[in-house]
Amino acid sequence: MSKIQALGLDVGSTTVKMVGLDAEGEMAWHFLEQAEPLLENQIARFLERARNVTGPLDGIPLVATGYGRGLVNQATRTVTEITCHARGIYRELGHGGTLVDIGGQDSKVIGISPQGKVIDFTMNDKCAAGTGRFLENTASRLKVSLDRMGPEALSVSDEVSISSTCTVFAESEVISLIAHGVSIASILRGLHRSLVKRMVSMILTVGLTPPLMLSGGVAQNPAIRQMLEEETGQKIILPHYPQLMGACGAALFALDA
Amino acid sequence: MTIPAIPRRIDVIRTFKEQGGYVAAVLPIHYPRSLLRAFNILPVEVWGPPGIKARDGAKHLQPYVCSIVHNALSFLQSGGLDITDILIVPHTCDSLQGLGSILLDFVSPKQPVIPIYLPRGKRESDVDFFANELRSIYRQLEAITGHSPTDADLLQSIYREEAADKLLSELHRCRRNLPFSNLAFYRLLRNREHLPAETFMELAQKALAQKVDTTQDGGIPILLSGIVPEPMSLLGAISQMGGVVAADDLACCGRRLYPPGQSDDPFRRIAERILYAPPDPTRGNSIKERLEHLLQLVETSGAKGVIFYEVKFCEPELFDLPQLRQGLQEAGLPSLTIEMDLNDPLSHQALTRLEAFLEMIQ
Amino acid sequence: MSIGPALRYHWNVNLLGRAGLRWVRWQAERRVKRGAHGKSHILTPPLKISARTKELIGRHYLKGRYANLRGKVAWVTSGAPIEFLKALDFYLLYPENHGAVCGTTRTAVDICAQAENAGYSRDICSYARTDLGTMLSCQTPVGKLPKPDLLLTCTNICQTVLHWYRVLAHHFDVPLILIDTPFVYTETTDHSVAYVKRQLEEAIPIAEEVAGQSLDERKLKEVTRLSKLASELWLELLGRCRHRPAPISVFDQFIQMAPIVEMRGDNFTVDFYAAMLKEVDERIAQVIGAVKNERKRLLWDNLPVWYRLRYLAEFLGRHGVVIAASTYTNAWAELTPKMDPERPLESMARTYMYPILNRGTGDKLATMRQMIDDYRLDGVILHSDRSCKPYSVGQMDQRDRLIRDFGVPALLLEADHNDSRSFSKEQVANRLDAFIEMLEV
Ligand code: SF4
Ligand code: SF4
Repeated sequence: MSKIQALGLDVGSTTVKMVGLDAEGEMAWHFLEQAEPLLENQIARFLERARNVTGPLDGIPLVATGYGRGLVNQATRTVTEITCHARGIYRELGHGGTLVDIGGQDSKVIGISPQGKVIDFTMNDKCAAGTGRFLENTASRLKVSLDRMGPEALSVSDEVSISSTCTVFAESEVISLIAHGVSIASILRGLHRSLVKRMVSMILTVGLTPPLMLSGGVAQNPAIRQMLEEETGQKIILPHYPQLMGACGAALFALDA
Repeated sequence: MTIPAIPRRIDVIRTFKEQGGYVAAVLPIHYPRSLLRAFNILPVEVWGPPGIKARDGAKHLQPYVCSIVHNALSFLQSGGLDITDILIVPHTCDSLQGLGSILLDFVSPKQPVIPIYLPRGKRESDVDFFANELRSIYRQLEAITGHSPTDADLLQSIYREEAADKLLSELHRCRRNLPFSNLAFYRLLRNREHLPAETFMELAQKALAQKVDTTQDGGIPILLSGIVPEPMSLLGAISQMGGVVAADDLACCGRRLYPPGQSDDPFRRIAERILYAPPDPTRGNSIKERLEHLLQLVETSGAKGVIFYEVKFCEPELFDLPQLRQGLQEAGLPSLTIEMDLNDPLSHQALTRLEAFLEMIQ
Repeated sequence: MSIGPALRYHWNVNLLGRAGLRWVRWQAERRVKRGAHGKSHILTPPLKISARTKELIGRHYLKGRYANLRGKVAWVTSGAPIEFLKALDFYLLYPENHGAVCGTTRTAVDICAQAENAGYSRDICSYARTDLGTMLSCQTPVGKLPKPDLLLTCTNICQTVLHWYRVLAHHFDVPLILIDTPFVYTETTDHSVAYVKRQLEEAIPIAEEVAGQSLDERKLKEVTRLSKLASELWLELLGRCRHRPAPISVFDQFIQMAPIVEMRGDNFTVDFYAAMLKEVDERIAQVIGAVKNERKRLLWDNLPVWYRLRYLAEFLGRHGVVIAASTYTNAWAELTPKMDPERPLESMARTYMYPILNRGTGDKLATMRQMIDDYRLDGVILHSDRSCKPYSVGQMDQRDRLIRDFGVPALLLEADHNDSRSFSKEQVANRLDAFIEMLEV
């Protein structure tokens, strides 16, 4: 393994990710865990892991990003996930466009210039509609595991429309659909559609400059990908590690130092 | 970098009352300060206030009414305004219209309630109407206080407010040459919301005496638009992230830099001052006027981006945003919208947006 | 008007369009005759004249579609003093009515999304969002809307329309006339009336310039007379619901009110309501009620829930509950006595200051009280419309007073008049069920 020269730590609301880069800025090491309530302890453990692969961390710059970035006392610097995602994806794909990141708590759409700069961005408003949580909540009601949701939704062609985008309303709507004997798969399909429509609306407020790129945990969900393509008419480009883009970007900032 | 000592709000009110004056609680945004002062009434503005238990208001107002209105009613109901003698409710928007009306018809607080209708234009007919509206308010205040100030008294009061507003504008203009943090600066400005003009002028002069020739704050200059910078920790956060509020288009601050009036008739003069103030959607200014005003503020302040900091459910503000943002974009200026609720602390997400925005325009 | 466009207008509207609409009406009439509207044992089928309503609305939008070819177009708010524009031969488009058409045809949400995607917040009035969505995307269920040459906004219903029309003015870059009507907290003042009158006087030259003709005093009087006549008929028509059983319900009124809003000042509107009145009187003579088996009668407050009219009518009808009156449909009737065709401007200034939305919340409660007595009603449903603050703020107190001071059962129903995403069917059904139990039907 080539020597790690910089570290990026992305403390998200559902997962924590860390990436180590070599002198060329190539990913040399990475690590991912579900986020735990005691973030401070978890961060310490992450650093311990890093130490195990790199040896002492002294002198290796660390940039923290994500929702818990302020909790990383060891960080040389913090940068927001918006800027980090743009940086990470630009490094990997080498072009600008529109990046959609659907996270557990926050979703964002970032317009990236051909030079890799953030030109505009938007985030979901306060309510959970348009975030991963919207799916999670309702899916747990349906007793479907997270990674099965997408394939289930795609397994049928008929789709009910879920009119509420509010999680609370949607839940009661789902309950009543089940009571009416609608199949779980078509409900799931409807839920995905509703989330995707919400994302499309965010994309349009920023302005859709192709290509469309997708990052974040939800990128692994095939239904989201397919429906986003249907609704925007754009082919979606995925980075190799959709979940690590923020951490990568952070590490790139660390390398600058 | 010392901000002059600011008297506490409650002390100001007590002192004023001890000297035989009345105190009026005034809701946002525009109202005739000088008219009130001519009756020896001290206006004390109520922008919310933030961070109170907004429970009592929920008995009268639906959840889709903005938090400024919710909080004002809750504050009143919980006794927060008991010290005041009069309630003034300007007709600023549909929500304040509703509040004014339910105060008069249903809530019936112990203080008399005076609504003020603000015309939505600056045509001759608007000035005439507003002058007449002010005359009718004069009669109501006359009935409440038993005073009948003369035209000369009124004019004297107007001149005093004009002088105070001149200093206020001066503070805005010298913003970057004053050694104050964002937070300290806005604390100072917002004293205009409750200090008597003469006291405010002393403060302002002390502050202006600290003016230096070089630009003080090295941060990224931004223009802040919206209703009110609450919670005020917003301003600290902007500093911390390396930004400086170089100019503002806030309803509570920059949109109330009232120009001096022209007329010798006191009522017309007050009307002119309010109606010819910088553009404000609640007074019906066109989007074009607003855009030009923003661009001019950007030019004089060197701001590199505009932050629209909006109260959730505030229709007057929300309608203009897309076209304003588009106009700014065409002029090469990035902008950001953040929505807030007076009763919530600044959300983590809002802070992230702010920070990302500053990273973007750096 | 030059000859080419004029011909095209004539061809499309008068020849093709008229024939098409007649055909549609003929079909609709046959459907009514056959009783195709469901042999409902709950509701009486719609009035026979409904087929004509459809035709009128269809023709209005058909004319609209080609209106830019024929002459000048103004977009106006529902409460605006339009008589002078009508006398100047403007084609008038009412975005709020168009919004309602989008609501009833369930296209509003998609159109709103167009506005939301452009950055318009979901917290602004859904009529405005629908209209701005159409402005941006040209999407509409009526084919096509004409572009405005002039905008007229009147704050007698809300301030929202001021903000909304400023956006239109910026987009279309056409003159905007504002008639600002000071809110009547308790009583109106002379200086307010003078202000409104003066704005009307000053609006005329602006409109004349756009119209390219000057206002004919006689024509203005005539339009005002027709406006008053139609309103009088509408007033009478609503009054017929005092009968037990109520011959039509507010759900019928919601559909039948389109002409009084968007075609007042036309003579065919007068004929139309005269015919409707006749049919309603026949129903009364035969003791036919809108709800078969009427047991309880309610008042509706606030705008309709456009996308759920039938659902609500049937839900209530099933329990023998009819909504016999509403403050909303009443708004286009109650001011009739104030209109004076001989003093059009003066009386217009007064009339247009007094719609229910421009009066205090206590006055609205008094209006509701009066209607409860007049129509012998058993309860009130207050639609708390997320979109419409001027109509909704005050309802919580009004409801309290109705229950506490007058012993009238009252229900606050959370929804939105045009945005079905704010309507939770499950919640609404629950509340209505409980309310109906309370009424002890
Ligand atoms: S914040 Fe907006 S909606 Fe609320 S009172 Fe102020 S102007 Fe009205
Ligand atoms: S629904 Fe209410 S807020 Fe919307 S335009 Fe009508 S009156 Fe105004």
